[in-house]
Amino acid sequence: MNKPSTKTPGLALPALHRREVLALGAGGILAASGLGARAQGKAPPPPPAKPSGQVVVGLSQEPTAFNPLMPGIEVDETVWMQVFNTMWLAQPDGSLVPDLAAEVPSEANGGISEGGLAWKVKLREGITWHDGAPFTAEDVKYTLELINAPGFKARTRVGHSLVKDIKVTGPLEISWRMEKAYAPYLALLSNTFIVPKHLLEKAADPNTAPFNGAPVGTGPFKWGTRTPGDNIQLVANEKYHGKGPYLEKAVLKYVPDQTALYAQFRTGQVDLIIGTGIPANFYAEAVKLPGRKVVKIPSASLEVLMPNLEHPALSDKAVRKALYASINKQAIIDIVFYGLHIPTESFMPQESWAYDPSLPKQSYDPALAGKILDDAGWKRSGSGVRMKNGVPLEFAVSTTTGAALREQCQQLMQQDWQQIGIKMAINNMPAAVIWGEFYTRSKFQSLLVGTAFRTVIDPDPAHRFGSDAIPAKSGNGANQMQWQNAEADALMKQGQETFDPEKRKAIYQKLQVLVREELPILPIYQYAPVEGYKEGLIGYLPNINARQNTWNMGQWYWAK
Amino acid sequence: MIAFLLRRLGQSLLLLLIVSVIGFAILHLAPGGPMSQFAAGGDMTQADLDRIAEQLGLNRPLPVQYVEWLWRMLSGDWGVSYRDQQPVLHIIASHIGATLELMLTSTLLAMLIGAWVGILGAIRRYSLFDSLATVGAMIALSIPTFWFGLVVIYVFSVGLGWLPSGNRYTMGDGSFLNQVHHLIGPCIVLALVSTAVWSRYMRSSMLEVVNQDYIRTARAKGVPERQILMRHALRNALLPMITITGLHVPTLLSGALVTETVFTWPGMGRLFLDSISYRDYPVVMGILMFTAVLVLMGSLLADLLYGVADPRISRSGR
Amino acid sequence: MSGVPFTSTAEPALPPAPGFWNSPGLRRFRRHRLAVFGAATIVFLTLACIVGPWLLPYTDTFIDIRNRFAPPFSGPHVLGTDPLGRDILARLLMAGRISLAVGFSAMAIAMAIGIVVGMVAGFYEGALGAALMRFVDAMLCFPSIFLLLAISALISPSVPSIILLIAMTSWMEVARVVEAQIRSLKTREFAQAAVSFGASNRRIMIRELLPNAIAPIVVAATLNVAHAILAESYISFLGFGIQPPTPSWGNMLESAQSYLTSAPWLAIIPGAAITLAVTSFNFIGDGLRDALDPRMEGQ
Repeated sequence: MNKPSTKTPGLALPALHRREVLALGAGGILAASGLGARAQGKAPPPPPAKPSGQVVVGLSQEPTAFNPLMPGIEVDETVWMQVFNTMWLAQPDGSLVPDLAAEVPSEANGGISEGGLAWKVKLREGITWHDGAPFTAEDVKYTLELINAPGFKARTRVGHSLVKDIKVTGPLEISWRMEKAYAPYLALLSNTFIVPKHLLEKAADPNTAPFNGAPVGTGPFKWGTRTPGDNIQLVANEKYHGKGPYLEKAVLKYVPDQTALYAQFRTGQVDLIIGTGIPANFYAEAVKLPGRKVVKIPSASLEVLMPNLEHPALSDKAVRKALYASINKQAIIDIVFYGLHIPTESFMPQESWAYDPSLPKQSYDPALAGKILDDAGWKRSGSGVRMKNGVPLEFAVSTTTGAALREQCQQLMQQDWQQIGIKMAINNMPAAVIWGEFYTRSKFQSLLVGTAFRTVIDPDPAHRFGSDAIPAKSGNGANQMQWQNAEADALMKQGQETFDPEKRKAIYQKLQVLVREELPILPIYQYAPVEGYKEGLIGYLPNINARQNTWNMGQWYWAK
Repeated sequence: MIAFLLRRLGQSLLLLLIVSVIGFAILHLAPGGPMSQFAAGGDMTQADLDRIAEQLGLNRPLPVQYVEWLWRMLSGDWGVSYRDQQPVLHIIASHIGATLELMLTSTLLAMLIGAWVGILGAIRRYSLFDSLATVGAMIALSIPTFWFGLVVIYVFSVGLGWLPSGNRYTMGDGSFLNQVHHLIGPCIVLALVSTAVWSRYMRSSMLEVVNQDYIRTARAKGVPERQILMRHALRNALLPMITITGLHVPTLLSGALVTETVFTWPGMGRLFLDSISYRDYPVVMGILMFTAVLVLMGSLLADLLYGVADPRISRSGR
Repeated sequence: MSGVPFTSTAEPALPPAPGFWNSPGLRRFRRHRLAVFGAATIVFLTLACIVGPWLLPYTDTFIDIRNRFAPPFSGPHVLGTDPLGRDILARLLMAGRISLAVGFSAMAIAMAIGIVVGMVAGFYEGALGAALMRFVDAMLCFPSIFLLLAISALISPSVPSIILLIAMTSWMEVARVVEAQIRSLKTREFAQAAVSFGASNRRIMIRELLPNAIAPIVVAATLNVAHAILAESYISFLGFGIQPPTPSWGNMLESAQSYLTSAPWLAIIPGAAITLAVTSFNFIGDGLRDALDPRMEGQ
């Protein structure tokens, strides 16, 4: 959806994160949207005794980064999830299930103590790397240390940089201390893949190790072959420690265009489409395809209008309120996106355990918007554009070029705003430009962007909303709208230091009310992308808490 | 001859150096950078992005980066892709096959059809066929390649269902026939322009030969017209045609890029587009240099063959 | 763009007799039926794009959601509507203004650069000429789309910057043509005579040499417009072109591929407009070549 049907070579337009936290009630959503094995009707046939068959997964972006600790985009995770494992893994219902670890540490089981400063993890027995070497606590220690190693191009050190005094206390036991209490670290580790020490330490420079082109992990599939620009083939790891794998081979097929990808799904050249999914304009047609299951899946990504709060007009809260009141959300969703997406008021996905469903609902009301502006002193001038103290009410909305549906969305907004005296220009740029300094150094006026405001699957948005996280000012963080709010800062600090879910929930609900009132971002909708698979494929299960729905591919198989 | 070769080689190296400076400057002065793709997601902080940019050496002054790149290049090291950490030459090598397959087959197709149309046009000069061929070639040269590709997909894939709408082969079916089936659409599309160019050159080349003395002599001796054309005229007209192929390399590469995009063909064109949009500098530079070498080789070949075909051609200038 | 046969203009032509506009040349052009057809088409297209939008009941940006995806010839929207319900005919004509303007402006800039570079290189030869022509050669080493894409990374897409972009990638052939012309012309008697009269270099170049090289320049200019219109459509198709809501023939095609099954007219109409315009310019160029350079007749 972020990258609709165009020829544009694609940067991942703003990523689609499908990760959510420890949700308590997300199962209901799944059932409601008719997903999950349960919903497939009669009980599925049992999996084969020995891995057999192959699945071709269609992707509209090419996975190219195979070291899971180095910079990569979402689509790269389709590979990481098969080849590697994390210590624990988030399920569709939001619970964390131990994978390489024997249990998920908590204050209750003593794994986390001293108010979050001391951590201890027991690992599962009998796991081997694909090359036969045993998996031990040394691998976990090596992984955490490598992330912080000065010369290593680690993807992110958020959270990891707080880890100190890593000690291997037994072959399968590891402990460390944190510089400060940081609750989101549990979630971060659910997305931190463990790499083999015995292979990487041999390399002179882990940045250029041969491992990065032919990864070796503990996951259900082993690295097979890669035809760059076309496909990657993975083969079953018959010694896998978990359930499965039931498929003998998995092919990740790159088709660089969503329309073309959909065409190949229709003709059966690919068995399923995940990730960027089926373009909205094909949804109605796709659900009718014989022999295909096409589903709207839950996603944690939000489409927002991101104002630059240093812009002379957009810095005025009244302006943001008026803009918000005059966005015809329903028209945008119904017309441009064929009714797929879900209007939202929060910066948090609606499936999150911390989501506040009682936020005031936006409704399309141009008259109200006009009144807000009149009251705030933005008067119509001769040219029809409102002015206040010599500042005209005009700004530009930027998004990635080639995103056809977003462009349509912009044009609808433009028409609505024009009627109440707001002049909006469209200033779109190629992805590589827009997400460069233009974005990171807050040089935009406003952006139409699909993004997420969490830390992996934790609700903590401190790096997006904290006033110490403005890259243009402090050189750190990802608060590109430059929001500064002392009350929000205090709430977020409290949230990071609290481990009790109920108390955290209260904190984040307060924050949602504040964000809805202040509008540092104008939330438009929560994505509901469309994925599809061939009938007969058993085990496909959308997971809002996984970055890609290949998260459980080890358990897929074909009904015979 | 050897002196000529050496001078041309020297000139080519100088050109490559200029090409590399232009390419490097354009790329690195462009706004945005390789970090953009990671910034969009929102889960990497500015500190992470800045650290990686520094680790890649992107913060150093441009001339320093250029000289380092050039130095490595001279020692045969084309650098490593930012995206997939593979050596650039390896990446180019793994995409060039698909592109060459497309370029060679379409050139072959264009030669056959183009030569046929051109010869026939020359024989029946000013006939209805000749006029139609002329107009047709003009239109072929004016159709946007990508649009023609869309039309081919619409008619033959969507409408008639005869051809696949993209890809080089069906996953899991690597048979030769399957590959040929996939090749037909893009091959026709890419051949369109070349066919037009070929037919026009072939026609004029034939006309030139036909008017030469030895043909007139042959004709006067009563050699059958058909034999004159096939034996004498065609042979002499073909050689200069080969030179056209050499000069046609850049056009063909451009066409291949567009065709690959329309037919999701996993070749150099796709690689270039992806690399530009991800600002994968080493790969983009690699492809630019690689294509420049191809282009220069093409024109060198053209000159050499031209010289062989017609020793009167001056080797100065150009 | 690949298709424009610049190569045939690259050879220096004989300077035509002065005052060719009123003599055999023009008559030959008029005899060239395709060229006349091309010229008529261009005049018609240009007039339609200038006047047309005033006569239509819809503007190019008017969003009529209820009537989206209306097929051509089925209702009030003569050529149908796009995904937002905008009138395709209105957009086509407005887009024509942009595309033709891009074509002519890019041509003008490319010609200016090409003529100056070619003239200077051809006149002075020596180190300066060699340096300039090596630069031209280097620029020609990039396949045109590769160069367009690389430079498009440099600019933010707007009408003026796209014009500049296209001009920057299409002046080299002109420079080659002019350089070859000037180099051969300056050895001729009339040029030598001017030198002996003590005329300044600039005067010789502009007053004596350039007018005599005008024939291939006019031909190149015509083909250059065709090239520029095509180039605009290519960059738009690849996603680096003129941005909405400004329509251009190229960006009307941009998202057409995803509607190929459901609304094929979105792809067919603008594509046909591009082909028609480019073909016409190529016909004119061909006619001009025949008319201005009798030696090449019949090729």
